[in-house]
Amino acid sequence: MRLLVPAIVAGLFALLVGSTALGSVPIPAATTISIFFHELTGGALPPAACSASVATHQCSIWIEIVWQARVPSLLLALVAGAALALTGGSLQGIFRNPLADPFLLGLSSGAALGAAAIFVLDIDPAHQATILPVAAFLGGIVPGTVIYLAARFSRRGPAVLILSGVALSTFFSAILSAMLLYNPASDVSLNFWLLGSLGSTSWSDDGLVAGVTLVLGAILYLRAREINLLQLGPEVAQSLGVRPERTVQWTVLLTTAITATAVAFTGIIGFVGLIAPHIVRRLAGVDYRRVLPLGALMGGIVLLVAWDVAVAAIPPVVIPVGIPTAFIGAPFLIYLLYRRRAPGGSAADA
Amino acid sequence: MSAPGSATLRVDRLTVRYGGRTALSDVSLEARPGELVALTGPNGSGKSTLLRAVMGLIEPQGGAVVVEGANVPDLELVERARRVAWAPQEEPVGENVSILEYVRYGRHPYLAPFANEGPADHAAVERALRRVDFWEERGRGIAELSGGERQRVRLARVLAQETPLLLLDEPTAFLDIGHQLDALERVRSIARDERRSAVVALHDLNLAARFADRIVVLSHGRCVAAGTPEEVLSPELLADVWGIVADLRRDPATGLPYLVPVLPMDRPPLAGAARPRPMARVHVIAGGGSGAELIPRLAREGFEVSVGAVHLFDSDAELGERLGVAMATETPFTAISPPVAEHLRSLLEACDAIVVAPVPTGSGNLANWSIVAEWAGRRPIALLPMPRDLPWDFTGGAAARLREGILRSGGEELPGVEDVVRWLRIRLADGATRTASRP
Repeated sequence: MRLLVPAIVAGLFALLVGSTALGSVPIPAATTISIFFHELTGGALPPAACSASVATHQCSIWIEIVWQARVPSLLLALVAGAALALTGGSLQGIFRNPLADPFLLGLSSGAALGAAAIFVLDIDPAHQATILPVAAFLGGIVPGTVIYLAARFSRRGPAVLILSGVALSTFFSAILSAMLLYNPASDVSLNFWLLGSLGSTSWSDDGLVAGVTLVLGAILYLRAREINLLQLGPEVAQSLGVRPERTVQWTVLLTTAITATAVAFTGIIGFVGLIAPHIVRRLAGVDYRRVLPLGALMGGIVLLVAWDVAVAAIPPVVIPVGIPTAFIGAPFLIYLLYRRRAPGGSAADA
Repeated sequence: MSAPGSATLRVDRLTVRYGGRTALSDVSLEARPGELVALTGPNGSGKSTLLRAVMGLIEPQGGAVVVEGANVPDLELVERARRVAWAPQEEPVGENVSILEYVRYGRHPYLAPFANEGPADHAAVERALRRVDFWEERGRGIAELSGGERQRVRLARVLAQETPLLLLDEPTAFLDIGHQLDALERVRSIARDERRSAVVALHDLNLAARFADRIVVLSHGRCVAAGTPEEVLSPELLADVWGIVADLRRDPATGLPYLVPVLPMDRPPLAGAARPRPMARVHVIAGGGSGAELIPRLAREGFEVSVGAVHLFDSDAELGERLGVAMATETPFTAISPPVAEHLRSLLEACDAIVVAPVPTGSGNLANWSIVAEWAGRRPIALLPMPRDLPWDFTGGAAARLREGILRSGGEELPGVEDVVRWLRIRLADGATRTASRP
């Protein structure tokens, strides 16, 4: 148990470094790794990046590819995975629903619709990076409100909440497809929004997503103990000094913002928010003070692995990252649905 | 915090309405330090509602709930949670946390947002777990616990809150009798040792009488009785509030009152239960406790039972009296006199069948045998076997000879009460017996 956190962090870092070797341009792994450390330390480590046999010109292109294209994508995978896992984990907690996931609840597609609207409206690209998350958040408010109300007023068990989410999700995706198909001028691909992509990102985008996720995630973490108490039912939680309504409202609001920021730069990526918290529960127990932060790290790992698969599956083509996550996530969802007692607790007693 | 001797909890004219329905009206009660107050009443009488209102989970329409001098609705939730702890009747199982983690939830009202539990919190959790004998097993997951264990762990969670007032809603629900006693004994000793007040909703009046310092009885949202078990428990209360007839007894071991519910004769025990033949009359010869099983069983089966002749204060006579059956009774320690014999004959004349219990016979009740012998052949007679290993005939063989005679002239010996019931159903099913033997 005590070694779990260092193990996860070390695994994450190793995965990050190793993944620099994958991409459509073949570069030796030793080279990409040495480039990574060279750049990471600001040139302090010797630039063993390129061997003597490689031309300097070639070498600087490789550095450009690794440090300006591959690493930003990997970091986006890390922070977006963390954002989705934070959202999934805390929504699973407040709704006592093991199936909660930003994609399945329609949050991701709502946010994607909001963000895509900015492209279709042809807003000055210079402002896009800042407007994009805001538009995504506005798009996420609709499904956020719907799931909040559905959870509050419907006592029909976990599947119903998810089914309304899936319905919303399908609806938003349809509007999104229509919008993008009728605006052929838009240079953003439909696949980017519907199945997710980490390919076209920059250090500044990563910084924005990371900053928002970190700050809002910290505020969310303040509610972790309250989410623990909600597992005993709203009345017991209240008897212990928690205002259940307020916990739920804050959590939905914060996770909508976190998800929207990630989705604005990645498009819709399903199931990461579902899988990562469940893995962490298995490894570290069900205290949300551990499930949330460790879940975020695990989300980073899951999405990194998915991205590696997306890059390496059929080179030189990079497939949308939502495809590998769906390949793992959909069977996992079915497994959760059919398991008699899910860790969220309410699957059986709903 | 509070002056010695003053109440931990004072509920004053509390009124709670749900929609259009009044769930509680003008309820007042007090709980002092070290005291266990049992809240009892039929289903839907407002016990749980009262506990919820005291916890502040329900907004009352009128009245006050004062805990250690502060009005609960005015307090911040965290402040409430430091004064009042509440355990509901049922709780979602939730995540499978360890017992230790679960009991730590009780420390939430003492923790700042980013803080984790400190030494004081760990000490409180350990004390609570030791109190319910779960410290050694604190690593087990709560989902693996049995119902009784879960109740104890829940009690520990509530104790870890270190509140002067404990509210427990049916802490004995779903527990077997052993665990019921264990749970309430723990609550009582905790209240006494730690000078806390416990208000406990309990279905079972006898458990309430046994463990509570005071009992408060609710009926239709009103407080209808309050006081010590001695003052509150009465057959009248049971009749008024629960609508059942009961006997008030005294537990010989504890000297405490307890109630034994009795099924009234004029009400079928099971609604819609088929009776073999309504109002078929069965006369039982009993005495000395020999009818203890037989008489109530026949009454329950729906037969109209008569008993006699028995001596007053004989346990079978008291049983018959409680059941309200027709009886021929004789003064204690005297032989059956001619008027009583006549009464017995009239009962036998009116009955459809006779059942003779294994009644110990002496000169006082020998006449029962001779009178039953007169009806041999005129009524179906069933006799239960006499004990083999105990003497029963104290008449020098006269009773045994009469019994032989009855058996020879058509009386049937049946092995047990169950067989008697079956035999009666068959014999009385055709309805011929009574009419044939009557003019």
